[in-house]
Amino acid sequence: MSGLDLDTITEVTASVREVFAAGTGAAVLAKALDELGWTEVVEADPAIATTILFSEQGRALASSRLLDDVVLNQLGSVLPAASGSRAVLYPRTGATPGTVGILLGAVEDDTEIVSMAMDENGNASWCLRPASDFTTEAITGFDPTCGWSLARTSTAATAVAAAGTSWDDARAAGRLAITAEIIGVCASALELAVSHTSARHQYGRALASFQAVRHQLSESHAAIESARNTLAAAYAASPEHGGGAWAAKVAKVRAGQTQAIVMRRGIQVLGAMGLTLESEMHRYVTRAAALDALLGGHAELAVEIGTELLGGAAPARVVTI
Amino acid sequence: MSTTAAPVEWQTDVDAYAQALRELFSDDPAFDQWRGVHHATTEDRVRATATLLGHLYAGGWNRFGWPEAVGGLGGDARHRAALYDELSAAGLPVPDPCLLMETLANPLVHFEPGLAAEMLPRWLRGEEWWGQGFSEPEAGSDLASLRCRARLDGENYVVSGSKLWMSSGATATRMMCLVRTGTPESRHRGLTMILIDVDSPGLSVRPVALASGLNEVAEVFFDDVVVPADRVIGSHDGGWGVAMYLLQFERAMYAWLAACVALRRFYELRDRVMTNGGLPDGATRRLGECYTDLVSLRARSAETVRRLSAAEAVGPEASVDKILLATAEISLHDLARDLLGDHFLTGTDDGADEWRHDWWYSRSATILGGSSEVQRTILADHVLKLPKENA
Repeated sequence: MSGLDLDTITEVTASVREVFAAGTGAAVLAKALDELGWTEVVEADPAIATTILFSEQGRALASSRLLDDVVLNQLGSVLPAASGSRAVLYPRTGATPGTVGILLGAVEDDTEIVSMAMDENGNASWCLRPASDFTTEAITGFDPTCGWSLARTSTAATAVAAAGTSWDDARAAGRLAITAEIIGVCASALELAVSHTSARHQYGRALASFQAVRHQLSESHAAIESARNTLAAAYAASPEHGGGAWAAKVAKVRAGQTQAIVMRRGIQVLGAMGLTLESEMHRYVTRAAALDALLGGHAELAVEIGTELLGGAAPARVVTI
Repeated sequence: MSTTAAPVEWQTDVDAYAQALRELFSDDPAFDQWRGVHHATTEDRVRATATLLGHLYAGGWNRFGWPEAVGGLGGDARHRAALYDELSAAGLPVPDPCLLMETLANPLVHFEPGLAAEMLPRWLRGEEWWGQGFSEPEAGSDLASLRCRARLDGENYVVSGSKLWMSSGATATRMMCLVRTGTPESRHRGLTMILIDVDSPGLSVRPVALASGLNEVAEVFFDDVVVPADRVIGSHDGGWGVAMYLLQFERAMYAWLAACVALRRFYELRDRVMTNGGLPDGATRRLGECYTDLVSLRARSAETVRRLSAAEAVGPEASVDKILLATAEISLHDLARDLLGDHFLTGTDDGADEWRHDWWYSRSATILGGSSEVQRTILADHVLKLPKENA
């Protein structure tokens, strides 16, 4: 059960939406959340607070380093105390972890970059290096407005702590927050598709009065709802019920599948408008793709789940009554 | 456990009840007689799993989730959901009579507590089970166009017409039917829900075999069947409201129950194929995706069951549950068919037989209880509030 009642959740959601609508410079965002009394909201119900914050970030197509806080929050007892600000270097599929990775926003030169490195025996450890050890290059490919950058370093780092299960925990927390963000992106994209097809007429009727269009939008809705429910269940599942890393992986697979469905349908029902820079649809499509890939895309994670199951894994039920 | 030993705290502590069920199913060897049993016919399967209900009832176990006034031991929908989950997790079947109990017993308890007190205990003991008579040859998804007619004649109704696609129709002893009491044009306004005994003169049942060869459904003919007026569920011409009340349970609890069973079958499939070399390309990913479908379905339907148990009205959004259920059922059984390969097509053992039967039955997931097309239209109309199709 939530520590926040429905009215509070509605109110907080509306306030966070305004914060993102007003623009998201890191400092602006931090100040606005502070004014909202965000710390108290998080204390009352961290799962709902994270879900609201990241869903709204997704809705607004905003970009920030808020995910770093979620990840670092899991590492409080593992890393040495921070002397200044920290940022997280996210692994990039196919790249050596720790020396190449993704930063989700701008960092100061003296910001400590937290990265996970893997030795040849597969042992993971945490490394700390100043941002000045890295060269960065803005990521501009499919989602040029993501605000992320690719960071590289040739400086060797000393491991400050064995990662142990903290990597699983930190990654799981990150995956749940990204799931919420993908849900937000999808919800906004569906709203755009609904409003476009309701307003535009062909053959003397609104597009959204044609069954072929209506059913595609309904499928998008069902997919988004299933991602929401899976996310809530993953947050609610205790470790002995398959919560933690396993449930987070399942939730992220579901979110990744959801964005694939919602974006495919969204592009289709917008007609050629969905392919243009003039419609916002492309921004949802590309952001959802970037978020899907962050900390493991749905195809890759589904293979991981399948591999574990074929290896005889007997995961707990994740969802109980 | 004797009936009297059931702790009253379980009424409010579902976790403790579920934990006790887990211990029961792992400790009591009597349950082994229902594990891994293959039945040659649907009629055999329904009767055999009904005896499991009787065994559960003797210990008071399946009385949780039903009000004390109608023979239960208190608690709510969550208790019933926990029972189905624990049975499945322990490799036991969910007794067939539970499917229609979830759909029909809830409106019975709500609208006719007197009849429920008289009849529900027999159902809980597995001594009788009912069929649901909604669809007709000329009225499937368009339920409001049904024509099976009931004419009030003094203290009785006289029913004439037919019903089709009745689950457990070949063995049910009573049928809860939606019949037309208004004019042919009255659509959903002129309908009444009524409970009809199968042994009534003028009633005949024709089992309908699915392509699997199993009589999963039946067609029922009513030739001036006399039914006492006190067998009306709800009010005269009030049948649509009863049907809508009933559909909440059908969409929500049926999805949960089916998800519990599907997860058991998923693991049975996994156990069978994990030792096979040479799975086809993509098998690993599909297993992961199918598992994800099942967890998502559980997450969704558990949430809806919790809302039902809190007496919240579950409206058109329950169509999401139904869509997810259909997706998961189709995905699991197509996966089984593909991974089992030749064994699915030509295997002669009980296991192969069961997967073939289940594959055919899984095709009904997008059809029965309101087709996937109807569910998508409900979401489009009432949740997304899109412009109407015929505006």
